[in-house]
Amino acid sequence: MSSLTRPRSGALVSGSAKSDVNPLVSLREVRRDYALGAERVHALQGVSLDVERGDYVAIVGPSGCGKSTLLNLVGVIDQPTSGTVTIAGKRVDAMSDREATSFRLHNIGFVFQRFYLMPILSALENVELPMAEAKVPSDDRKARAAELLEYVGLSSRERHRPSELSGGEQQRVAIARALANHPDILLADEPTGELDARTGAEIISLFRRLNSDGTTIVVVTHDEDLANATRHKVHMRDGRIVDA
Amino acid sequence: MLLPFLAFALILQASLPQTSQRTIAIDEAFAAEAHLKVGDRVAIAARPGASAAADMVVIGAIVRRGADPSQVARGDFVARLHLDQLQRISGYGDRVDRFAIATRRSGDIDRTLLRINHVAFGFRAYRSSDIAVETSRTFQVVSRFHRAIGVITIVASSIFLLCIMVLKVEERRRDIAALRLMGISRSSVVRSIIIEAAVVAVLGSMLGVVLGWATSLFVNWHYQALYRTPLYFSIVTPPVIGLAVSLSLILGVGAGVLASMRLVRTPPLELFGR
Amino acid sequence: MRAALAQASLIRHRARTLLAVLGVAVAAAMLLDMVMLATGMRESFRELLLSKGFDIRLAPKGTLPFDTDATIPGVSAITTVLRTNPDIREISPVLGGSIHIGVGANDVSAAVLGIDPTVQGDYEFLSGRDVTTADALVANEYLLKKLGARFGDTLNVAAGYDPQTRTYSGQRRLVLTGKVRFIYGATDQPGSVVRRETLEALGGGERRDRASLFMVRLRKGANPDSVRNWIETKIPNVSAISVATALAKVDQRLSYFRQLAFILGAVSLFVGFLLVTTLVTVSVNERSGEIAVMRAIGVSRAHVVQQIVLEGVAISVVGAVIGLGLGLLTGRYLNAILSAFPGLPMAIDFFLFQPRAAWSALGLLIVSGIAAGIYPAWRAASLPIADSLRREAIA
Repeated sequence: MSSLTRPRSGALVSGSAKSDVNPLVSLREVRRDYALGAERVHALQGVSLDVERGDYVAIVGPSGCGKSTLLNLVGVIDQPTSGTVTIAGKRVDAMSDREATSFRLHNIGFVFQRFYLMPILSALENVELPMAEAKVPSDDRKARAAELLEYVGLSSRERHRPSELSGGEQQRVAIARALANHPDILLADEPTGELDARTGAEIISLFRRLNSDGTTIVVVTHDEDLANATRHKVHMRDGRIVDA
Repeated sequence: MLLPFLAFALILQASLPQTSQRTIAIDEAFAAEAHLKVGDRVAIAARPGASAAADMVVIGAIVRRGADPSQVARGDFVARLHLDQLQRISGYGDRVDRFAIATRRSGDIDRTLLRINHVAFGFRAYRSSDIAVETSRTFQVVSRFHRAIGVITIVASSIFLLCIMVLKVEERRRDIAALRLMGISRSSVVRSIIIEAAVVAVLGSMLGVVLGWATSLFVNWHYQALYRTPLYFSIVTPPVIGLAVSLSLILGVGAGVLASMRLVRTPPLELFGR
Repeated sequence: MRAALAQASLIRHRARTLLAVLGVAVAAAMLLDMVMLATGMRESFRELLLSKGFDIRLAPKGTLPFDTDATIPGVSAITTVLRTNPDIREISPVLGGSIHIGVGANDVSAAVLGIDPTVQGDYEFLSGRDVTTADALVANEYLLKKLGARFGDTLNVAAGYDPQTRTYSGQRRLVLTGKVRFIYGATDQPGSVVRRETLEALGGGERRDRASLFMVRLRKGANPDSVRNWIETKIPNVSAISVATALAKVDQRLSYFRQLAFILGAVSLFVGFLLVTTLVTVSVNERSGEIAVMRAIGVSRAHVVQQIVLEGVAISVVGAVIGLGLGLLTGRYLNAILSAFPGLPMAIDFFLFQPRAAWSALGLLIVSGIAAGIYPAWRAASLPIADSLRREAIA
């Protein structure tokens, strides 16, 4: 691994150590209401949660318990109705769109249930995309994208389009993409939801490897194997954390 | 054409002695331009500035000009005088430019033409319709031009329609996938899409006909005022409506068939995932 | 990367993109033609009027040149007056009329101009000898064909026909010496040229010292409008027509075509705009999930907008370039139709290609391409990310 280390960020896949604030993620009394027609849905009803740097947390609970909403708030693609969200010492709950976008680009890595790779780009280009957005010079980003694909075990599939890859392979490209800009935290929403048991297990072990190499991970999942592989489980029901 | 190139000098009559109570007729455009009305008295002369030789006349009528294509877009004014007066002031003597002759029966025209031309001395007789063809050359050119523009427009709108229809069907790929998954047959799916396309095409072209009709009203109003002519510039006829509706129906249904055939051949699950 | 994404997303739906490009191409062709029609006719007429460098034309009061049979009396007196203005460099009096040329038992009638060959501006001399002598006559191609005569042949020429008495006011034997092309001649019009004094003589006493038209060339830098006013006050029985006033007349007579061009041009532009908007909107709707993901991984709003606008612009530009060629072809075809317009000089082009016309058509299209992309791009960029992702997951 030593050949992959970078002076700025330490190991290839570890959190960027942009700050040493602990806890890395901190939610205090977070509420999130939606208007659904004339009614208001209280998706989160006062959630407080800390995630330490280097932790690996699974958020579990029945459908509609608010776990995806929680993940969206931590991912800064949604904002709470009230309460505070702090990531790496920075308040992210009332950022402007421009600030939030830039924050996501540099501090958050997203992995989705349905991979969501750009179908028109190759595996390598998909991994390059966030770096291109962050204005990383072309040579550097190509090199890093190749290293990341190698890390997830796809160095032979660089030139393939997503449609030419299996589900497990697509998800591994998505994970490489999420790591491109040395994020503080990796967020995954049902990352094994679309995969069969065997490929699911591959992703679970990849996540374990990532965490042991220093990456902070939060996953939302129904998959017990995945949940059991994490360091902590957070149970949610009806918009509240029932035990941590 | 009626009064070849006769220039009128108009001098307001107040200062001139009254010498004649004869009347002339002028066209609306002339009346509007020179602020004249029936009963006004004007002096007319054959040459500009020839006030000494001017005749005093009363404007007896303001007339609307006939629809003469060859006169459209020319800014000429027309006045009608009694023949003898025009002959006198223009120094034409006992001459005319042409005679108009009506025959008793239409079958007599050829015989009459022959007989006149046989005895004619210094003139020739023509059929009015032949002369009309000659004077409407301008409009033949313009209508040929319009036809060409029309063809280009039809090609353009065909492509446009085809494109919209293909997009409209493709937008439905998910619905189509859902229908197919529910077990609805390919032919039923294609049929329902074609019916939808046809309805859209017919509704759209009907809207287009109303829009076109309103536009043609505006075009006629505008150009009739601009050129001061009662000619119609744009007429929405049943064949035009028929062409528009059938064209859009054919293209709409055609695009529906093409796009939906392509979609139903694709496995439904692939339609979902793109 | 954005360009690559835009390109890839256009290629993804090949048939659809092709149709849209084709649609834009036809709209662009139409637009170019209409810009050419709106500006070309006028420009072509202006070039024609200025082709021999005559800035002002004098016609009998209240008429346009050769619009009527009226003539201006006192050529020598008018010439003397005109010469007193230092801005006037050259004066070319022209007498027009018609002549009859005996060919066997038949007569061929033709338009005739009486000019001074050293200062004329009505024709281009093509071959043979110009009208350097009083007994010379030159003709245009159409008349030469009708006559079936060759240079050096002697022709029986008569003028001033009186149909009542079947007599001519003058008759003379002239030698056919050359071939010319009339600058202002209409199509299929037989025409000929003799020296002005020859035509005056043919017209009997009535046409002595008269001209149908004076053409006046000004010194460089002289103001045509002030000279025109000077002429109209000095010589009251003529209308002095500068190029600008002549163009105004043409504008008025052919306003129909300009308005038609404006309306059809606007319609084509709108159709092109609509096509691009529709295509980009549909493509954005289809990709709302993809766009939400791009936003989630940190792609900025501005970059999403850029990429989508780029798609619209790419369609417009490719369509416009194809349309340019198409427009030139259709323009030529439409011009051929309209060149048969009666009473206009053969050399008038209704559709005149000017680089400026092409640039303005291209510019308009690109602007409308950008405008067409902006609405869907704005919608895409303001998608609520979390909602779009959830909806995508449910679908």
